Amino acid sequence: MAPPDDSGSAPDGVRVGGVLRAVAFAENAVLVLLLGTLVAVAGGQIVLRQLNVAVVWADPLTRLLILWIAVFGAVAASRDAQHITIDALSRFLPPRAQRVAAAVVALFTSAVCVVLAYEAARFVGVEYAMNTAGLGAVPAWVLALVLPIGFALIALRYTIVALARIRGLAPAGAGR
Amino acid sequence: MIWLSLGLVALALLGAPLFTVIAASALLGFAASGIDLSVVMVEFHRLGEMPVLVAIPLFTFAGYLLGETGAPQRIVRITQALLGWLPGGLAIVTIASCALFTAFTGASGVTIVALGALLYPALQLAGYGERFNLGLVTSSGSLGVLFAPSLPLILYGVVAQQLQLGRPVSIEDLFVAGFLPGLLMLVMLGGWSSWRNRALRTSMAAFSWREAAAAVRESAWEIPLPFVVLGGIYGGYFAVSEAAAVTVAYVLVVEVLILREVPIAKLPDIMRRSMVLVGAVLAILGMALASTNYLVDAEVPAKLFTAVREHISSPQTFLLALNLFLLVLGMLLDIFSATVIMVPLLLPIAIGYGIDPLHLGIVFLANMQIGYFTPPVGMNLFIASYRFDKPVLELCYATLPFFFILLAAVLIITYWPALSLALVR
Repeated sequence: MAPPDDSGSAPDGVRVGGVLRAVAFAENAVLVLLLGTLVAVAGGQIVLRQLNVAVVWADPLTRLLILWIAVFGAVAASRDAQHITIDALSRFLPPRAQRVAAAVVALFTSAVCVVLAYEAARFVGVEYAMNTAGLGAVPAWVLALVLPIGFALIALRYTIVALARIRGLAPAGAGR
Repeated sequence: MIWLSLGLVALALLGAPLFTVIAASALLGFAASGIDLSVVMVEFHRLGEMPVLVAIPLFTFAGYLLGETGAPQRIVRITQALLGWLPGGLAIVTIASCALFTAFTGASGVTIVALGALLYPALQLAGYGERFNLGLVTSSGSLGVLFAPSLPLILYGVVAQQLQLGRPVSIEDLFVAGFLPGLLMLVMLGGWSSWRNRALRTSMAAFSWREAAAAVRESAWEIPLPFVVLGGIYGGYFAVSEAAAVTVAYVLVVEVLILREVPIAKLPDIMRRSMVLVGAVLAILGMALASTNYLVDAEVPAKLFTAVREHISSPQTFLLALNLFLLVLGMLLDIFSATVIMVPLLLPIAIGYGIDPLHLGIVFLANMQIGYFTPPVGMNLFIASYRFDKPVLELCYATLPFFFILLAAVLIITYWPALSLALVR
């Protein structure tokens, strides 16, 4: 795995960089916390089953943790540029075309994620209106908030990359 | 619509994250049929309704954690002690330990990084030709895809279960179905390596009870793990998700608390890195749930089957065409994306030709496994090129004989369904 690329903090001033680093720290902390909980619940459940103790909320909680890990893992993958891609073409392009392609790709990605975040917000709205039951006292719409937040964070990352790439293109032919 | 689809393909080829490409195609499809777009998120949300998925983060984390310990060294030492006396023994050691490690790390490309660095210099020291070493290490990195608990097998089962095929495709059955075909690949690769290097019985080649005992003692904590996990799954004692939980708990207790090879302070970073891979895989799976929903809704698989039927009448011809198609696909797509994108299209067609879904799964994954190192764009070629600091072209050339052997294995697996199905029933 490649080392985390710090593209998030590169383009803008110290302040924006600091905010992004804080967001990144929070994202990592959430991800580690989610996996830690999953390990504890999944492991604990097996022990309890041997003792013939059933915990009603354990299975729904496990499934919820998977969804959250999927979203926060995807956010982390966006930050590290570790999403699964094909990328068979761009390495055959001349350098300048490569930079244009990278900017277009980042713009496309952030645009799709904006649409996804918007649709996710509408989905949360529907869950809220229908007052769907969630886990224990927490309604389903609160648990589904992870979707719009996650896709908005991914969109943010790719917008930053796209802006950096476009700015890099401006001085025509002036290297990087 | 055609132009939009071509545009999406172009963006994918230029390196757009595949989950956004799949999401965009689902969004466009639903928009064209006048269906509310939030259905994409409804489908993605279903990631939280599939209990079996819990196996994916747990096995991945366990694999990454094992990679940080001395376990890879110990795996190599113990296989060397047990198998090193064979002609071309170290080559066989390489194949066996890579297969074991790949199965545990879910075939995520970690094997070359974790084991290659140990085995490549050892092979060189023992007098194996450089080109042979490079080819062996690069191609062995993909072995183990067909053994429990590999993530691609789990993912295939999850996708197949979405298709409402009228017959269950259980992940436990898939693990059983993969066993003999996986073994066939190991035996063919091992046999050839052994024959090629029959002159190389190393000086330490004589089997030593003392070394075997020492190696076993050193690995005493890890030896029960494959028996617990594989025995538990193949013997039907645990569901896959339970086996995953047991594995993580076991690895954490042994490596962190008992052997103390990974300091607790390093755990958060390992957790984060393993979840990056999980997030990347689940993001494409979640979006693929939406695009599959669209495809089934628009009856695309049925239309495809009718179209294919006009040109191909026998199942044998279909399988041959499938082999060729998957070989090309394997060069472009990694095994995870290929599974979530292509299986919803291919499986209904295959069933139309009377092919068993379990057999198709094994054929599909065996075929995609060669794709890991099919020139010119297989992923393992690039990882190995980076890891061993060799040009990709040299690696392509070095892996060629291994490619043909595994291709022969894939053809046998394809045209001999009983190999996959005999143990299941």
